[in-house]
Amino acid sequence: MTTNTAASLIAFGKRHRAALAIGFLLIFPWLMPYEALAVNILVLGLYAVGFNLLFGYTGLLSFGHAAFLGSGAYGCGIALVHFGVPWFASILIGVLVSVFFAAIMGFLAIRTRGIYFAMVTLALSQCVYYLFYQAVNLTGGENGLRGINLSEIGILGFSVNFLNPTTKYYVILAFVAFALWLFSRLLASPFGAVLEAIRENESRARACGYDVARVKFIAFVISGAFCGLAGALKALHLSIVPIETLHYLTSGQVVMMALLGGMNTFFGPFVGAAAFLLLEDVLTTMTSHWQLVLGAVFVIFVLFFPKGIWGSALAWMVRK
Amino acid sequence: MSEIILATRNVGKTFGGFVALKDISIEFERGKLTAIIGPNGAGKSTYFNILSGAFPPTTGQLLFQGRDISALPQHKFANYGIAKSFQITNVFPKLSAFENVRVAVQARKVGLNPWRNRDGYAEVNRRAHELLALVGLEARADRTAQDMAHGEQRALEIAMALAAEPVLLLLDEPTAGMSPEETRVMMDLIQRLSRDRTIILVEHKMKLVMGICERIIVLHHGELLADGTPDEVRTNAEVKRVYLGQGRH
Amino acid sequence: MSGLTLELLLLQIVTGVALGSVFVLLAIGLSLIFGMLTIVNFAHGAFYMVGAYMGVFLYGLTKNFWICLVLVPLAVGTIGLVVERFLVRPLYGRNIDDPLLLTFGLGYVFIESIRILFGLNGIPFSTPAGLRGAVDIGIGYFPLYRLFLIGATGMLVLGLWLFIEKTKFGLIIRAGARDPEILKVLGIDVSKIWLLVFGIGTGIAGLSGILAAPLQAVTPEMGIPVLAEAFVVTVVGGMGSLIGAVTAGLMVGIVVAMTSLFMPEMAKVSIFLLMALVLLVRPQGLFGRAGLMG
Repeated sequence: MTTNTAASLIAFGKRHRAALAIGFLLIFPWLMPYEALAVNILVLGLYAVGFNLLFGYTGLLSFGHAAFLGSGAYGCGIALVHFGVPWFASILIGVLVSVFFAAIMGFLAIRTRGIYFAMVTLALSQCVYYLFYQAVNLTGGENGLRGINLSEIGILGFSVNFLNPTTKYYVILAFVAFALWLFSRLLASPFGAVLEAIRENESRARACGYDVARVKFIAFVISGAFCGLAGALKALHLSIVPIETLHYLTSGQVVMMALLGGMNTFFGPFVGAAAFLLLEDVLTTMTSHWQLVLGAVFVIFVLFFPKGIWGSALAWMVRK
Repeated sequence: MSEIILATRNVGKTFGGFVALKDISIEFERGKLTAIIGPNGAGKSTYFNILSGAFPPTTGQLLFQGRDISALPQHKFANYGIAKSFQITNVFPKLSAFENVRVAVQARKVGLNPWRNRDGYAEVNRRAHELLALVGLEARADRTAQDMAHGEQRALEIAMALAAEPVLLLLDEPTAGMSPEETRVMMDLIQRLSRDRTIILVEHKMKLVMGICERIIVLHHGELLADGTPDEVRTNAEVKRVYLGQGRH
Repeated sequence: MSGLTLELLLLQIVTGVALGSVFVLLAIGLSLIFGMLTIVNFAHGAFYMVGAYMGVFLYGLTKNFWICLVLVPLAVGTIGLVVERFLVRPLYGRNIDDPLLLTFGLGYVFIESIRILFGLNGIPFSTPAGLRGAVDIGIGYFPLYRLFLIGATGMLVLGLWLFIEKTKFGLIIRAGARDPEILKVLGIDVSKIWLLVFGIGTGIAGLSGILAAPLQAVTPEMGIPVLAEAFVVTVVGGMGSLIGAVTAGLMVGIVVAMTSLFMPEMAKVSIFLLMALVLLVRPQGLFGRAGLMG
C-alpha cells in the first residue's frame, strides 16, 4: 500500500469514524464467544470512550471516573427499583446523577494542575464510594443494589424481551451508537479543537483567549455524562450494581482500557475495553491470578507501546 | 503626539525579596514599532510579562487605552486586542500548522461551539490561510508544528498571535536561537507587519532593532535607562557605558 | 452523647495522633519521591502492603520485631531501587503521566504476587512482646503499641529532617527538588540521586507497612484504601513538603478519630470533605508552593 492511499484511507476513516464504529458494532456479537461478553464490551467500551474525552483529548488524567460510571448505574437502578420509574427515564436519571457528581468533582479538581489532578480525582471518587456505601437504604451498601429486573420493555409501543441476549445487545447498542455519534460530532467541532489545543499547550490556549478552566470543567462534565450513560446501561445489563463499580480500581480499569487500546484515537478505548475483557475472559478460565498478567501487560504497554493497540496499528498503516 | 495605546504607570515587580523592576512609567503610541532592550537581567522579560498580562505588577498600573487592566486575567488580554508571542517557542506541537492558526482564529470568531463541524466555518479557514500566507508558511499548512524548523515555528507563532486581530502585538525576543538567515527573514516579517500595526518587541541584540524600530527603550537593573529614537539611544552616554561594559552585542 | 468525658475526648485525640502517625509515614514517602522526581507513586500502597508481608515473613524467621523493623525498610527499599532503575527510569522525559500509570500497573503485579506467595486470606500479626498491653497516660489507659507508633514516627520524622537539613546529601536533595538543573551544573549525577530517593521513599512505605501491621490484619488488599488516604494527606499538606505531610497526617488522623466518636457513619467520608475544603481555600495544600504544579 502506498503512503498516499493509506493516508487517504485514514482520512476517510476519520471522517466517518462514528459510522464505521457503529457498523462494526452491528456485527460484533457474531465475533464474540457469547453475547453477554459482547454487551459487557459495548458498555465498558462506552465508558472508556467517555473517559478518553478527558484523558486522550484534553490531556487530563482522571483517576476518579468510577464515580460517574457508578453514580450513573446507581441513579438508574435506584430510580427503577425504589421509585418504579420507567426504564427509559431511569437511564436519563442515571445520566443526570452522574452529571451532578461530575460537576462537583470537576469544580474541585480543575483547581489543581498537573499530576495533582489524578490524586484529587481519585480521592474525591473514593468519597463518592463511601457516600453510596453508607446510604444502605437506597444503595444496598456493601451488598450492592439488587433487583433491577427488566424483562419486558416498551419501545415505541412495541414490547421487547430484554432477557433475550441478542435483543438486549441491540437495544443497548442503540444508546451506545447515539453516544458515539454525538461524541464524534463533539470532537469534530470547534470545542473539540480547543480540547486538543489545551492538551497540546495549556498556556498557549489561554493566550489565544480561551478560558481554559471553563473548558476543562465543561469537558469534565460531558465526560462524566458519557460514563454515566455507560453506567446506567451497565446496571440494566447486569440487573445489579455492585458497590465495587464506584471503587477507584474501576477508575484504574478505564485508564488501563484507554491506554491498552490507544488514547489518542477515537475507537482505541473501545478496542482497549475489548482487549481487557477478552483477556480477563480467557485468563480467568486458566488461573485465579489473572490480574498478575493484567498488571504486567499494562506495565509493558506503558513502557513499550504507549500508543496502544489501535494507535500502533494506525501508525503502522501510515508508515507502510 | 499620537494616541497612547498602552502605558505603565510607576510599575514595579518583586519576586520574594528580589526587586526585578522599579517604578517604570512608559507610554506607547499607536502605530509605532518600539523595542525594549537591555543587557541580561535588565528586567526586560519581567516588563514584557507585565505588559502581556502573564502576571500582574506588584505596584503601579498597566493602562490599555486609558483603562486599568493590571488585574485582568490572562485570557482576557486577547479580548482586548493584545496578542503576544513568546520567548520560548510556544505552539501546539502535534497539530498541523493550519490547525494551530485555525484554533487561534476560532477563539475570536467562533468560540466553543460543540455542535457544528469545524471545517464548516469558511471564514475562519480563509483567515487561517491568509495568516499563514502573511508569515510565509502557506506551503507548510499541513506540516505538524513540531516537525517544522525553528524559524518557521516562530513565524507560526506570530501568525497565531495575529489571529486575534490585535491592535497591539507584543513579541518577546522574536529572533532568539535563530540562524542569521532565519533572523533576517524574521526581521523582514516584523517590519512588514509594523506597517499597519502597533508592535512592541523585547530584544537582547541591540544591533538588530536599530535598523527597523522607531523608538527604543533601554532597561538596566530593573530601571529605565534611556528612551528615544535609535540615533538618540545610540549616542546616549549611559547606554554606551552599560553595553560596552558588558561587551559588544 | 452520654458518657462523654474530657478524658474520653483526650484519649480519642491521642488515638487520632496514633492513627495519624501511619498517615504521616505514608505521606512522607510519597511526598519525598514527588518532591524530587515529580512522580506520583501509585504503587505506594502496594509497597506498604509488601512491607507488612515482609514483616510477617521476616518475623517468622527471626522472631525478633526489632530486627524486622530494620530489615523490612531495607528490603522494600531495595525493591524500590530495582523498580526505579529498570522500570521508572526509561520513562523520564516522556509524558508526565507515564510513571504514574506504570506504578499503577505495578501495584496489580505486587498484590497478585503476594496472593500467590501468601494466599488470599489475611494473616494476623500479633503485637510484639514488650509492646503489648496498655499504660496509664494520665487521662486513662492507652495501648502501649500505639504510643510506640507515635514515638517511632516522631523519631523517624526528626531523623529525616536532620538528614535533609543538616547533611550534604540532604542539601543536594533540597537543591534538586527546586531545580534539577542546579545539580547538573554542580556536576552531580542526578540519576543516582533519583534512584536513592525512590529507594528511601519506598523503604519508608515498607516501614509504615510493618508498623501498621499489628493494628490490622495483613491482607493483600490492605494497601488499596491506604493509597487514597495517603493522597488526601498529601493534597491537604501540600506536595513535596515534609512539614505539610506531618501536619496533614496528624490532622487527618484526628479528624478520623473525632468523627468516629461523634458521627461514626461519617468517619470514612470526613477526610475527603477535609480535602475538598482545603482545595477550595488553598488548592496547593497547606504548605505547598503555588507554582510547584506548573
